[in-house]
Amino acid sequence: MRKLIAGILIGLAAGIALAVGALWQLAGGLVFEERESPFTVEETVARIQHNVEAAGNGWSLSGLRYPTRPLEAEGINALPVMLIEACSTKYSGPILKDDKVRFLSLLMPCKVGVYKKNDGKVYIGIMNAGLIGGLFGPLVGETMRHVVKDQESFLVMDPAKPAPPLILPKSGGEAGAAGGAAGGC
Amino acid sequence: MKLKRIMIAAGLLAALCAPAAQATPTLGDKLPARKSTADHGKFKELQRDFKSGPEVTKACLECHNDAAEQVMHTKHWTWEVVDPKSGRKLGKKNIINNFCTSTISNEKDCMACHAGYGWQDKSFDFAKQENVDCLICHDGTGTYRKLPGDAGHPIYERKEFPHGSGKLVEATDLKKVAQNVALPSRANCGSCHFFGAGGDGTKHGDLDSSLRNPAKYLDVHMDAKGLDFTCVSCHKTSAHQVAGSRYDLSAARTGPARPRGKADDNPASCQSCHGDKPHKESLLHAERLNAHTETLACQTCHIPEYARNGIGTEQSWDWSTATKMGPDGKPLFVKDSAGRRAFDSKKGDFAWDSWLIPEYRWFNGKLSYKTVGDTIDPARTVEINHPEGGPREPGARIWPFKVHRGKQAYDPEHKYLLVAHTAGEDHAALWHNFDWPKAIEAGMRTAGLPWSGKYGFVATEMSWPITHMVAPKSEAVGCAQCHGAESRLKGVAGVWLPGLHKNDWLDLAGWSAALLALLGVLIHGSVRICVLCRKTRKAS
Repeated sequence: MRKLIAGILIGLAAGIALAVGALWQLAGGLVFEERESPFTVEETVARIQHNVEAAGNGWSLSGLRYPTRPLEAEGINALPVMLIEACSTKYSGPILKDDKVRFLSLLMPCKVGVYKKNDGKVYIGIMNAGLIGGLFGPLVGETMRHVVKDQESFLVMDPAKPAPPLILPKSGGEAGAAGGAAGGC
Repeated sequence: MKLKRIMIAAGLLAALCAPAAQATPTLGDKLPARKSTADHGKFKELQRDFKSGPEVTKACLECHNDAAEQVMHTKHWTWEVVDPKSGRKLGKKNIINNFCTSTISNEKDCMACHAGYGWQDKSFDFAKQENVDCLICHDGTGTYRKLPGDAGHPIYERKEFPHGSGKLVEATDLKKVAQNVALPSRANCGSCHFFGAGGDGTKHGDLDSSLRNPAKYLDVHMDAKGLDFTCVSCHKTSAHQVAGSRYDLSAARTGPARPRGKADDNPASCQSCHGDKPHKESLLHAERLNAHTETLACQTCHIPEYARNGIGTEQSWDWSTATKMGPDGKPLFVKDSAGRRAFDSKKGDFAWDSWLIPEYRWFNGKLSYKTVGDTIDPARTVEINHPEGGPREPGARIWPFKVHRGKQAYDPEHKYLLVAHTAGEDHAALWHNFDWPKAIEAGMRTAGLPWSGKYGFVATEMSWPITHMVAPKSEAVGCAQCHGAESRLKGVAGVWLPGLHKNDWLDLAGWSAALLALLGVLIHGSVRICVLCRKTRKAS
């Protein structure tokens, strides 16, 4: 009997460990999503920027950052990364007004990363706002569902349409590791 | 006593000399600023208001009386190179490129980058010394400028450029430039080599205006706050002959470093300073890295990407869409998202990008070129040039290349690429009248070749060895980028790459050896346990 209980406990512990391990492995893929872009880094960014501007629902561009520039200043060579920042006052407002979830301002503005990898291809990295939203109650969950829908529209790119120009922020919001936001949130 | 004095004196002399020897600049030191010993502003020959470039040259030659003669024997003057092996005439004057295609019939524009004045057609006098342009390489003011359309002359009077743009360019103050000459800086060389094919960074991929004042990440040698090499630090010049042309490239230099000043066939190679065993890390690591130099060019690892800036470089030029007009019937000019040319009714479609992973090919330093009139196979992509060399060839290494692709006009009957008269404001110029037949007729007539009257477009490509934009050593290509399933060198023939390539028999042998070893351990352990058990049993 004692052996049986010990076996069950060991099996249970092993099962939990395996589940945690699997979750640990999958967590990154669940929280963040990466997809390939057929365009250059600049064109991908420009197309997303124009989609954001056309999205409605209070969306506007908050900034454009180049996280690799500070590295270059240190003599470090890194493939290009551009970070588009976008925010919707319609969705950020309710969260920023609620003391219980105001800490989620940490995730604002929404970011879309566009970068090149060593395979020479360009990728788009986004956060799974739906999954994250679901962790913080109905208000955030509902808001994030809308954000996810709009975010998907940002990434629709029609190759038949000509490449639009990059939208460079006029002041602030364009920097390496630091810089102020120009609009949006 | 006398001997003792001599010895003391010798000792003192040696002690005095020792620090001086240590102070000799090494590769790690920043090169000293170049300062001339002559103030050209004080020379009476240069106290004049020069009306033209040739007038300035005449003044230069009053002192530097052999300079023009020297320049006249260089590629910068002749635009012609004779291949010593084949005897073929190469150089810009004869080859076709994958960008503006040919200088023939377009001299007035192309010669904005000629080290001379007045080359606008075949009548140019290559023996006239005052036609040599000293200032294009020696301007120390950064104000000397030559524009397309002026046959290599500088700007003599305020003019609109580009034509029809409304932008005005001021005349060059030739007196000021002549009085402020200097050894060539990066900006001097770059005034042509950064802007080849009509735009910043267009042609080479590893040369653009960012190298005027580069950061360390972009080029460890030219780093403006570090070593601050100029072009001529490596492209060492003797009697105006500039070393290190791609027509005369050392692809696989062997042996130790050759200090500057010693006899050297090509001081522009990496090995010229670093030798062919440059890695000095821990013994095993250095040995492994140095072994790579038998297969790879230094550039293959130390230039991880080219065009590493927002300027980027042109990847393709499709002439087949040139003359296509906008919806209003007027010429169209479209930029890409980064503001680089994407379409021009005069020139066709372009594709640009930055931070490009090179393509890798075996290369022995020799590029074979298509010259005007060479036969092509229109069913296949035409290689405008071809890097020679292959595996197991002692002088060949795997090199990084920018491969520029495009489409060019060709004659379907004669089966050669066509020379088109593109530049100019005359009736036949393609960029003026948007009429291919007229442009081809004029171009081929000037080239002295028959044209069938028909034309089509054929896919072309041109390979450019990458050798600038050397990253700091910590930023070299990592092992896994070649020794992995997604290897950069995938597709390069004749090289075995652990991590990428596999041999089933070798894998079987390896796994068998591992399994046999495991089996041996298990059997050995079992025997030991059995023997121990027996001994224990007997003892009890």
